[in-house]
Amino acid sequence: MNIIPKTRSLMLATLLLGSAINHSVLAESTRYEMRVDGLACPFCAYGIEKKFKAIEGTRNIDVDLDKGLVTVELQGQRRFTDEEMKKLFADSGFTFRSMKTETHE
Amino acid sequence: MNHTTRFRTTSVPGLIALLISLPAAAHDPIFGVGPHVLFKNGMEVALELEAESADSDNEQALAVDLAWGITGDWAAGLTLPYVFGDEADGRGDIALYSKYRFWRQDSLGLQESAAVFAKWIPDSGDSAVSKQADDLILGLAYGYEGRKRYRWASLRYRFNGENDAGIDRGDRVLLDFVAGWRPDPRGYREPDTVWLLELNGEYGKQARLGGARLPDSGGTEWFLSPGIFWTERNFAIKAGVQIPVLERLRGTQLASDYRATIDFEWHL
Repeated sequence: MNIIPKTRSLMLATLLLGSAINHSVLAESTRYEMRVDGLACPFCAYGIEKKFKAIEGTRNIDVDLDKGLVTVELQGQRRFTDEEMKKLFADSGFTFRSMKTETHE
Repeated sequence: MNHTTRFRTTSVPGLIALLISLPAAAHDPIFGVGPHVLFKNGMEVALELEAESADSDNEQALAVDLAWGITGDWAAGLTLPYVFGDEADGRGDIALYSKYRFWRQDSLGLQESAAVFAKWIPDSGDSAVSKQADDLILGLAYGYEGRKRYRWASLRYRFNGENDAGIDRGDRVLLDFVAGWRPDPRGYREPDTVWLLELNGEYGKQARLGGARLPDSGGTEWFLSPGIFWTERNFAIKAGVQIPVLERLRGTQLASDYRATIDFEWHL
């Protein structure tokens, strides 16, 4: 009976599977750049940061008041939709206009 | 913002009325009222210190303010004051308020908006410092907020109730015009400074007792009020002083020397 080759095959398969899962879940992130109107005051914009921080997977949240841009990175498979952003910014007291995305592997 | 004024009449010594404007949310005037509310499910906690001087009378107040963002355009809150007066100290009347921003126009780096608000101040404080009556304030506020320049206007009507002594204290009308300037617009996470200059007008109807007008009551006061608004991320310090520039008070009343306030505000 030849056990060692079977065990080796099993180990190799497990290793490959784990690597594939790891790669797909952790490596992908999407950068969103949103055009938002009404951003005049830094103190007022804090609500935006707080709302994005409540979403799992977000990081590097930044607000450019002069250009009216909010940028966020979102890790994993989840994607933001226009409807979702429209509501998020309305709840923060501003107006969402448009969104650009950039996915990184 | 909160400020303290006094219902002054030599015929009813020791009567103190605490007039509190709405606590400011975000960039709003210090003595007037602006249209700003709070982000949905946001919470505001503020500590407010006020001082007022009128001839030989001095009064200070310390208030804690709590507000909640019900939606992105609607907030509600309450104010819990403690008054330190020349004649007495004690818990002031609590205030419950709500503000609804019914109009908002946003463009790049600019927000223009208008709100209605209501504040109810029931007779709830210690008798020595309370107005001993239930009051209601209704108002309308407009604001223009840009990266460098601000302007606001607000109109308030205060329905003053009859107090325990049977005095109808006379309703008040308050009108505010405010200009603001941010000399150095900064980034989101950087400290930010806005300078404000307010023109605050107050008209009070004469008080009545048993239907008869009390001669030493009512009149008009106008104040010029410089102020500053400093913020960093979710923390703000607001400070200002009201300086009387025109007073037409009926009869013999204590004229205002100044009113001052400093607030520490957190958004959570």
